[in-house]
Amino acid sequence: MSERPSLWWIDWRLSRGPLVRETLGRFLFFCLLGFALLSLLLSGGASRFLAGRYAITAVLRAEVPSAEAEGLARKVAALPPVRSATYRDPEAAWKEFLRAYPGLESLRGAGGNPMPGYIEIGIRPDRLTGADVDLVASALRSVPLVEHVLAGEEWLPRLLRAGRLASWVGWGVFGAFLAGFFLVGRLQERARAVALAGDFAFLAERGVPASRLAFLRAAGAAISGFLLAAAGTAAGGGALFLFLRKFPFLEGVIGPTSDLFLPRTVAAAALFSCGAALLSAAASLLGWRAARTGRK
Amino acid sequence: MIEGFRLGVFSRGTTLWDGLDFVFGDAAAWVVTGPPSSGKTLLLSILRGERRPDAGDVVVSGESLYRGNAALAHAWRASCGYIPEQTVADARLTVGNLFRRSALAGDGVRESERKERTDRLLEMVGLQGASGWRIAELSISERGRACLAAELLRGPKVLFCDGLVAGAGVPFREMLWGLFRALAREGNTVILAERRIPERWALAAGDPEPVGPFRVYRLAGPPAEVKGESG
Repeated sequence: MSERPSLWWIDWRLSRGPLVRETLGRFLFFCLLGFALLSLLLSGGASRFLAGRYAITAVLRAEVPSAEAEGLARKVAALPPVRSATYRDPEAAWKEFLRAYPGLESLRGAGGNPMPGYIEIGIRPDRLTGADVDLVASALRSVPLVEHVLAGEEWLPRLLRAGRLASWVGWGVFGAFLAGFFLVGRLQERARAVALAGDFAFLAERGVPASRLAFLRAAGAAISGFLLAAAGTAAGGGALFLFLRKFPFLEGVIGPTSDLFLPRTVAAAALFSCGAALLSAAASLLGWRAARTGRK
Repeated sequence: MIEGFRLGVFSRGTTLWDGLDFVFGDAAAWVVTGPPSSGKTLLLSILRGERRPDAGDVVVSGESLYRGNAALAHAWRASCGYIPEQTVADARLTVGNLFRRSALAGDGVRESERKERTDRLLEMVGLQGASGWRIAELSISERGRACLAAELLRGPKVLFCDGLVAGAGVPFREMLWGLFRALAREGNTVILAERRIPERWALAAGDPEPVGPFRVYRLAGPPAEVKGESG
């Protein structure tokens, strides 16, 4: 490390105490934001919750052999929007029926088992859209083995709309917190620029151009913003990991812990850190400008 | 060499001075005296490239400060040291902070070098062990000497001092005299702005050159040498 003093971390060199306090506050804030970001990313807003509770049921004809039904289930499972496709034979369907409606054993009389076999199809959370549900339902309806397809098409659009709304609210709250971070950061930067105005004037009088000072401060803010956001998101991700391990039932709403390590999750966290770096730099520049304007 | 050509300043709705010519040769100590509100601080600002004169120009080593390349003006300011008239500014800092800040302004002061030289310079101006003292707790004389020591950390080629000698007080005048003489001997230029020049310095400098409301003295050597006294 060079011993030569650098203007890169000029605020750190001139105002350590306030900067340490601000940095600590920002780190804690990024921990919370990181937790919220990863929760939103993994859950897809309300998509995972809805997808966990929504299924298309393909009721099979009575005479369909199990082998053919299982083959059909495998083919359906291969469709891109499908998360899972499980075949239930008539006997399993009857047991499920009795569990749901106990005391109706008498329905199985001389005519034998009245329940048909069926395939229960789950949709991937990220593909739970009207178009993808239509795609799967249409594909099933064209199969001669299938008698009925129950996809809830009458109420599904309303459900999806409510899900989208919930997602927007979630992301909106996240965005509001991010905007709050930006505004608070700008005020902090402004206050620091005002407090250090004498030092900046001192440096300007000694040949350090103001534009260079502003640029180096903004660059320093961007680097520290990126590192803080990355560290905060990692800490928030760690907290989410422990949280999901302690309360596994929440995996149905937020998602499995393994999704935290998916490349797309890591890429989103990196993108968030870059965004935080840009916001930090912008807050620094705007704070600097406001302080200089206020001084005049 | 620092030259001011036909310098003029219009301030507070009136002409403060106009058409003044100055020449400050290298490797010498200069004292510019003038009455209160005559524009001594303003003159130093103009010579440092901080404040464009309303008339005339300043030329340093053949290059115009205000009509030439902006990079040259920045380089000129970077080579200068400046001790302003002592006010309550920087009261929140410690003496050590002054040195840290001064090191930031210069490109070439290493951290280890700064720490080592800080103690030496403070001792030289009679403030040994003052690194942790708060500026707010210092007297005017101590502030001026602390600022001087912090500026010398960077080894400026030209040193501008505004009211430093008066602020430093009688006990430190001889120390300052010796210091300025040593700086000049090493090829540096010192320009002081004062309301009045100490009598012994005036005797050593000889007749001043009158320039508008100012008197410009060139300090030739230590008073004792000029007067033929010992010590």
